[in-house]
Amino acid sequence: MYIQGIGIISPWSGQGSEPLIKEDHFAIIDPDYSQWIDLQQIRRMSRVIKMGVAAAHMSLSEANIEAPDAIITGTAYGCMADTGIFLQKMVTQKEEMLAPTAFIQSTHNTLGGQIALKLNCHGYNNTFVHGNTSFESALLDTQFYLAENPHSKVLTGSADEITTISHNILTRLRRYKKNSVNPSELLNTATIGSMGGEGTAFFVFQALKDNRSIAKLSGMEMIFRKLTPEESLNPILEFLKKNDILPAELSLLITGKNGDIRDDYQYDLAENSIFQNVPKAAFKHLCGEYPTSIAFGMGIASRAIQTGKLPSEMLYSGQPPKALNNILIWNAHTNMRHSLILLQKC
Amino acid sequence: MNNNMDNLMAELKAQIIEQLNLQEVQPGDIDNDQPLFREGLGLDSIDALELIVLLQQHYNIKLSNPADGPEVFYSVRSLAEFITAEREKAG
Repeated sequence: MYIQGIGIISPWSGQGSEPLIKEDHFAIIDPDYSQWIDLQQIRRMSRVIKMGVAAAHMSLSEANIEAPDAIITGTAYGCMADTGIFLQKMVTQKEEMLAPTAFIQSTHNTLGGQIALKLNCHGYNNTFVHGNTSFESALLDTQFYLAENPHSKVLTGSADEITTISHNILTRLRRYKKNSVNPSELLNTATIGSMGGEGTAFFVFQALKDNRSIAKLSGMEMIFRKLTPEESLNPILEFLKKNDILPAELSLLITGKNGDIRDDYQYDLAENSIFQNVPKAAFKHLCGEYPTSIAFGMGIASRAIQTGKLPSEMLYSGQPPKALNNILIWNAHTNMRHSLILLQKC
Repeated sequence: MNNNMDNLMAELKAQIIEQLNLQEVQPGDIDNDQPLFREGLGLDSIDALELIVLLQQHYNIKLSNPADGPEVFYSVRSLAEFITAEREKAG
């Protein structure tokens, strides 16, 4: 399937800029939301809804369509801030006199619903809440939808936000480092935990290529089992074989390296064997670690294919690729789930 | 009496702005007699629920008859008059 439009709101504004860090985590750079959402609606929207709606608008605008035939969303945390507000009020107000807005807006499918309401889109609308593979699950559903409806256009994306409460909990669970580090140093820290992040990325997909197509999403696969570095080689090679690509034909490998010593070792063997001569890049030192961060990685990789230019901040090994024809994104989530995405020039 | 009513209306305006997250509205922008719903401030049914919660939270007043809603919530003045009447009833 082909990517026709991309909308990203993230902590990083692009080549030559530093990602935005607030306190000890990556934080999105808020655009002026009033250019997409009227003030009457903005007042009820939490940050994650605003940024999701805005990214959806950006991708639709690039694809030059008013409304899609289907809206498919992936989110792990949903509307975390409103959930926190509602639960806190339940405690402090002893479950009485609870204001409705935070509750209404706290469900995971609020974002997909708000986008549909705004676009007056009555088509297929689904939200996937599958932890670290929520965005990939939304992509899989998009592939199914387009297989059945080849002339449709699908708006697919993800959004996750970080709040003080969620950051504290995940730090206690050692997913995030106790002390923040400079983003440019994140991948070299070799300590436990990554740095928290947040963001949203939306894409317009269609089955057929046309002159607006940005990149081709040729393959996507999820592996739901723990793999040793040795065991991870075969599934990757099989995935590439299925898509008629040899490892050496890859222009770039983008990994989900996040600065957590418990995660990053998983890539080392493949990087030094089957991908030895392939340039390597990362993206989580630009957006932070969050369950749907791969959507951000896919967004900037697609843009790199479109423009033929890879932001220099991404590359951590090898020479800058001369051409960007085939990009493999490999994200190993805590070594329990592996995601593979193959993007190609179209 | 008039001073009390003015103070109550000023207090209500600040509470409405906070409860409904009316980011671009200042208390001075809300006229005492301006309709709160539809053409006035443009509030809707979810806001009506928020205002019911506001009445309970800040004034310990329950709107026992939902049919009174449109009249009570018509404007800041009607809301203030309702609160004053309920307070007098309670002694």
